[in-house]
Amino acid sequence: MSMNKIFTVARKEMKGIVKTRSQMLVGIFFALWFSVMITIPVVKTVEGSAVVDHFNNLIFYLVLMQGIFMAYLFSGKVFFEEKREGIIETLLCTPLSLRQIWSGKVVGVTIIAYLISLLATILITIIANIFSAILLLPSPAILFHISLVVPTFVAAAIGLLGFGHFLLGMRENQILNISIFIAIFFALFFTKNVISGGYAVSWVEVGVLLIVAVLLLALISYLTRFLSKERIVTTIP
Amino acid sequence: MIEVQNLTKKFNGKTVLNGISFEVKEGEIFGYLGPNGAGKTTTMRIILGLLKPTSGNALVFGEDLGSNDKLRRRVGILLENDGLYEGLSASENLDYYSQLYGISDREEKIKNLLDFVGHSDRKNDKVGTFSKGMKRKLVLVRSMLHNPDILFFDEPSSGLDPEAQRMVRDLILQLSKEKRTIFLNSHDLDEVQKVCSKIAILHGGTIKAYDKVENLRNKFSKPIFEITLIDNADVLNALDILHSLDYVSDCEEDGLRITVTLKEEKSSKILNELVNNGISVEEAKRLAKSLEDVYLDVVKHSGERHEYE
Repeated sequence: MSMNKIFTVARKEMKGIVKTRSQMLVGIFFALWFSVMITIPVVKTVEGSAVVDHFNNLIFYLVLMQGIFMAYLFSGKVFFEEKREGIIETLLCTPLSLRQIWSGKVVGVTIIAYLISLLATILITIIANIFSAILLLPSPAILFHISLVVPTFVAAAIGLLGFGHFLLGMRENQILNISIFIAIFFALFFTKNVISGGYAVSWVEVGVLLIVAVLLLALISYLTRFLSKERIVTTIP
Repeated sequence: MIEVQNLTKKFNGKTVLNGISFEVKEGEIFGYLGPNGAGKTTTMRIILGLLKPTSGNALVFGEDLGSNDKLRRRVGILLENDGLYEGLSASENLDYYSQLYGISDREEKIKNLLDFVGHSDRKNDKVGTFSKGMKRKLVLVRSMLHNPDILFFDEPSSGLDPEAQRMVRDLILQLSKEKRTIFLNSHDLDEVQKVCSKIAILHGGTIKAYDKVENLRNKFSKPIFEITLIDNADVLNALDILHSLDYVSDCEEDGLRITVTLKEEKSSKILNELVNNGISVEEAKRLAKSLEDVYLDVVKHSGERHEYE
């Protein structure tokens, strides 16, 4: 698979997202809003050294959820709009394979969604330190989580949403997208609680989540083999 | 170049294309005509590899375009839907596609093409601010970015003003002179008549006519004559005589001029009949048959109804 073509599509998608100011503002607003509204009460109410665990736990969830929310927000523009407006038909006639188009879009959206997640991490850390008596920094497990688990999970979510957009008609997609978003949200909480009920984030939890994300990404990547141009073209409204 | 053999396409049990066959050779401008829902877009989508045929095949350069990514470099497309990114500028749109086609001297090529369609002063403006005609011109030059050997044009003149329509026609003829093959899907019979060397008329999923334009004109259109009389007093008499002839299907009178449609080629007999009955004829001439006549004749006489496009 030519990486050049994938990055060409990825660059264009990134440019398209950044140029859509309203969408970028929504993304950044949510990163800011959730970071402020959730971090301040947590840091203010927890006393002593327990605040460190709470802080790490907060980043564990919040950054990942923000990344997935960005995936949901931007994949709508990149996959859904392109299909709704029929642009995808022209793209399918270029020398790119369907998997190259899908991969390029996933890479492009992942980069932007991940950058906003990083922004959320920085914001949470700054806000937490403003209201905390002790210095709060992400643990090594959380740093690993941010640098590897979050982008993999976000890519898997975008891949899954994009797969759905290509595969299904417009109405089914709208229902499915919300379902995927909610399912991922609850699966995440469930996984964390099954592994450990406490606030501390361990290497085991981060490792398990990474394995889940990698498997999910591999599964979706495999499923794209079954996508067809005919399926896409015949579901254009 | 393009070979379509016994192509059939069914959607949910409904037959959209029923065993159609045609061939387009290098340098030809092929006009693909038919009413809405006849299956034109479906045919083009199958040739472009966007849809799989139920049976039969559609080959370009002897191969299936859908399964050969590299081969699509040799194909340029202008679809009914512009497929432009409205949030990007004209030059960004062209630049994106030129990267996808792996064009090296992108900047110069884009500049020249934008100059050609008169969009240079708007090259940095978002395409969303363009008129329909401007977008159509942009799509036209996008299809030529990579110097394709075959171009598929679906309603290229749609939304264009007469001057721009003429530019499109001239461009199509120029491309044909350069030995490029054009597949033209159009409702504009005047455009097809002016540029196409060969046409196929699709109706109800089958090809009802397929030949050179001139051959089809001779084959399908009924002979039409325009007879101009000298004396006004002869008009009613002449009409009576013409209506009594079994090979005349229709007569229309406009002052001294009578337009006669014949069921068969018996033009010399008409004049004899009139002159022998004492009618003074100033002029009799055969009218040129238009592609519209052929098209309407074909479509009118094929009683089938379309099911899907």
